[in-house]
Amino acid sequence: MSATAWAWLVLLLPLAGSITIALGFRATSWRTAGIIGTGAIGLAFLCGILALVELLGESPDARHHASALWEYASVAGLHIKLGIYVDPLSIFMVLVVTGVSSLIHLYSFGYMQSDEGYHRFFSYLNFFVFSMLLLVLAGNFVLLIVGWAFVGFASYALISYWYRRTTATRAGMKAFVINVVGDIGLVLAAFLIFQQLGTFEYTEVFAKAPQVFHTNEWTVVAICLLLLVGAFAKSAQLPFHTWLPDAMEGPTPVSSLIHAATMVTAGVYLIARTHALFVLAPTAADIAAFVGLATLLVAASIALVMTDLKRAIAYSTMSQIGYMIVGVSIGAYSAGMFHLMTHAFFKALLFMAAGSIIAAMANEQNIDKMSGFGKAMRFTSVTMLCGGLALAAFPLTSGFFSKDEILAYATARGGMYLIFTILGYLGALLTAIYTFRLIFRVLRGDPCPEAQHLIDTGHVVHAEAPFNPATGEIEDTDVGFPGEDHHIAEQSPPMKLAMGVLAFLALFAGFIQVPGVDETVTHFLDPVFTDSPLAAIHPSNTAAWVGLAIGAAISLAGIAIAWWLYVVSPETPRRLQERFSAVHTFLYNKWYFDEAIDILVVRPALAVGRFANNVFERFVIDGAITGGTEETVGRAGAIVRTLQNGVVRTYGLFLVFGAVGLALYFLIQQS
Amino acid sequence: MINALLWVPLAFGFVGLFLPKRVVGWWATAGAAATLVIGVIMAFGFDNGAAGLQDTVHTSWISGLGVDYSLGLDGLNLFLVLLTALLWLGGIAFAAFREKERPQLFFFLMLAAETGTLGSFLSQDLLLFVLFFDLMLVPFYFLFGAWGIDRTAEGGPTAPRATLKMMIYTLIGSLLMLVGAIATAIISAHGGHLTFSIEAIQQQGLPVGSQRWIFWFFAAAFLVKMPAFLVHGWMPDTYRAAPLSTLVVFSGVLAKVGAYGFLKIVLPLFPQATSQFQTVLLLLALGSILYGSVMAFTQTNLRLIAGYSSVAQLGFITIGIFTLRADGSDGAILQMVNHGLVVGAIFIIIAILVERSGTEDLRAMGGMAMRAPVFAALFLIVTMATLAMPGSANFIGEFYILNGLFQAKIVFAFIAISAVALAAYYALRLYIGTMHNRKPDGVLSREISLRDGIVLAPLVLCILALALYPQLILHRADPSVQQSVAAVTESSESNLAVNE
Repeated sequence: MSATAWAWLVLLLPLAGSITIALGFRATSWRTAGIIGTGAIGLAFLCGILALVELLGESPDARHHASALWEYASVAGLHIKLGIYVDPLSIFMVLVVTGVSSLIHLYSFGYMQSDEGYHRFFSYLNFFVFSMLLLVLAGNFVLLIVGWAFVGFASYALISYWYRRTTATRAGMKAFVINVVGDIGLVLAAFLIFQQLGTFEYTEVFAKAPQVFHTNEWTVVAICLLLLVGAFAKSAQLPFHTWLPDAMEGPTPVSSLIHAATMVTAGVYLIARTHALFVLAPTAADIAAFVGLATLLVAASIALVMTDLKRAIAYSTMSQIGYMIVGVSIGAYSAGMFHLMTHAFFKALLFMAAGSIIAAMANEQNIDKMSGFGKAMRFTSVTMLCGGLALAAFPLTSGFFSKDEILAYATARGGMYLIFTILGYLGALLTAIYTFRLIFRVLRGDPCPEAQHLIDTGHVVHAEAPFNPATGEIEDTDVGFPGEDHHIAEQSPPMKLAMGVLAFLALFAGFIQVPGVDETVTHFLDPVFTDSPLAAIHPSNTAAWVGLAIGAAISLAGIAIAWWLYVVSPETPRRLQERFSAVHTFLYNKWYFDEAIDILVVRPALAVGRFANNVFERFVIDGAITGGTEETVGRAGAIVRTLQNGVVRTYGLFLVFGAVGLALYFLIQQS
Repeated sequence: MINALLWVPLAFGFVGLFLPKRVVGWWATAGAAATLVIGVIMAFGFDNGAAGLQDTVHTSWISGLGVDYSLGLDGLNLFLVLLTALLWLGGIAFAAFREKERPQLFFFLMLAAETGTLGSFLSQDLLLFVLFFDLMLVPFYFLFGAWGIDRTAEGGPTAPRATLKMMIYTLIGSLLMLVGAIATAIISAHGGHLTFSIEAIQQQGLPVGSQRWIFWFFAAAFLVKMPAFLVHGWMPDTYRAAPLSTLVVFSGVLAKVGAYGFLKIVLPLFPQATSQFQTVLLLLALGSILYGSVMAFTQTNLRLIAGYSSVAQLGFITIGIFTLRADGSDGAILQMVNHGLVVGAIFIIIAILVERSGTEDLRAMGGMAMRAPVFAALFLIVTMATLAMPGSANFIGEFYILNGLFQAKIVFAFIAISAVALAAYYALRLYIGTMHNRKPDGVLSREISLRDGIVLAPLVLCILALALYPQLILHRADPSVQQSVAAVTESSESNLAVNE
């Protein structure tokens, strides 16, 4: 079978899984649903590998194929086919997405066990994977937008999965609306592309663009900036990021899959996919890189003070995506994509470990109340440490190779791009500190009551009444979900397996891309990026290793600082917080982005709505227009009413008036 | 065949008047089903690639005045006819499951309205169109007035009073159109043989001076019917008064007659005036979009959320037509069908929600998804289609419309597309506010009943099928749309030539 045939199967399997689970929700047990869901994704991963094998069997230049099923909407000069595009970049994404997804499905199999919405959960989760695959396999901009919006929908549905919680539904709404704003950016970009190039197909767009556009011509810059609106909204970059921390309302596997490993990296994929356009619009590419840089620093600074375990990791995700955006925008394509992959491994893992701990805490997420889980939960804490090391770019872990490769490229490109190297290392220092702040505070110290209970009895604590961790509100007992039982990795083999595999990958996946040694990812992705002059820039092996050495030193320094702050002298952070309370408040309130958006966008919109409803509708529409008309008709009617009464008569009157008026008009015209 | 399509509903309705109460609902449903079957058979016989009329009937009616009884199918009305038949079947079946006072009269009026509506879609004669356009409303006056809801307790009007408002608005529009139609025929005859045939009038052509005022006479009628911004004053009271099963068809189909009228009559007959007033209409439609969206997210009554969202959607459709480009107008046709399907489904859903909760106020609802997973899923699909999520046919409709606008007037496109975000907000607000969050006391969370499911599921299936293959409609509509649009572009080109 050809690579495209396997790719169609990759696409079809999760969709089939989702539909099967949804339709069979009354007839099947939770176990069956979980097996179908996990199996569908596992098979999709296998098909992805077979597609890869097919692709590798071809010469590098021939590794791109388009395939279409039917004309989706093709009239009046617009040609939109239901078509996919298979090349190393899309297959790379397919493998990352299906690989990580199948592990997260496996984890969910255990984690969501006692939840009453189990079928709904797996159906949505499969649908999400389908959407994400559609996004990466789409062969034209319209289908890309469809996949783009579908993942947004799946994200919404899973954020507000526990829909009896108002916090969850509100977070879902926020995520959805901000993502729609991103969709609008993409749609406008597609219109502009169509206006300039007359097509939506990737292959034609990328082939025609260099012939039609001059470098930095306003149209191509505008196209790229509109694409960036979509990319930033989906990848939670400033100023469209506020939905991501709130998205942590969803179940933890969702945070792991959608809001860390896959969907939020779609913006990175988009920039890499459309690099042919960004090469023609260096201004837009630089804007993207600087936004990525700003996001990576802002998010890292917020992660330093977050007390909510999941939200702290969420800010870390934003920050890490900032690195990837910087990478693909400045031309370090394969480095950016490689960081996307390693990040998927270690961030998914960190969320899984966090989920396991939150389950042990009976849904409590505040790290101020956690400590000593190192003793209580061996497996979870070891895997969390693996994830943490990779995130902090500890020497020889996967994150170490991937992050430093981006920074080494920035150095090699030189000039203005050295800013990215320097501030990127600053971000790396902050990353190491906030990561090990979490790890030390959660895993070390005397066991908190919940951890102690686990050590003493071997059972997980249960809250007396189910409550909403965000508000502390006692939950409707009618709800039935999230389930009464909590599941931790230590007691659930599927969770353990998923986390074990990811821990291995987090530690060792970096070895497939060692500078000067193997560089597998670069070689594989090379054919996609050959058309970009930026891909020719390549840091020398010496430079790469010097960069790695600096990265190693910074990582170790960050971990040491965290050790000193949170283990040796735990008084210091508190003193710092008091001394610099203004800074702390500023960071703790997340730079007041939510408040700013509220004042600038939400309130004006609501005010307009109120004005429309209370003033315009009442006085102009109902008062002046309708009232005026009615009065006129009423007066006219009153004359006739002396003869006969009723509305139908009014009609007759108008007929007469109309005919008379018409007769008069023609008389005047004729004369 | 086309005669059967048109008159079967009325015939069934008439016979139904003499049937006992218990069976009349089923009899009416059978009538609506028969109409749909005829429609579907005709659709299968439709020649896809052709632009002109098919299945025509043509007999002279009032020969002295040049009025003909002339019907026909083309790419513009084919799917609107099917939509009409489908929604009427849904609305009637939904009503048939429920107790009604004087059901014989109720179903007679419903079916009479169906004939009226089909007639206005099928008419190929200007006067016949005007006649059907007016006739289709008469049954609704009685339906709303007699079976409507009294809102005096909430400080609103009685049903007859609310209906009166609608009557005044629509009658003024209709009368202007009648005058316009007569004038069109007389002027276009140029002193020769009088004819009301749309095709013939198009060939004869009208002087630009006359086009200018007649354009507005027709536009007034169509804009009121949609309703468009500034002339929508009748809509809120009427929507609150109307029985929900009649709103399914009223909101789903009747508004489309206005939009259809622009494509069928205004563009081909008044081409110069159309291109002259393009910007005015676009601005008005933009007003509809923004105003409708903003109103939709401030309303708390479910009916009004749906009502104002329709104002916004009809704004999109109007914009598509007045891009005066084939892509925009293709999108408009597709969107008419899409919007009819979703809004019909939404009103059925609202009817179910109101039965479960005993209120129409969004603030007093919530949490109904818990014991109703199937209902929640159907509602969610409809919600996503309403907000035109990419992947739905509604998205393709809007994509074509906005692409047309983008190429024609780029600034307008940027403004119009912002309403897409507003739509996401108000549509989700409706879904979340009723299905999610905590359940207030007194609100029932119960699965959709089988009988309501039978009504709602086919609509959802149509929405899904179109999502997979919007080309089904686009492909068939395109040749006819090209013809309508070409009338305008050719005339403005010849205008330019004259000026040069």
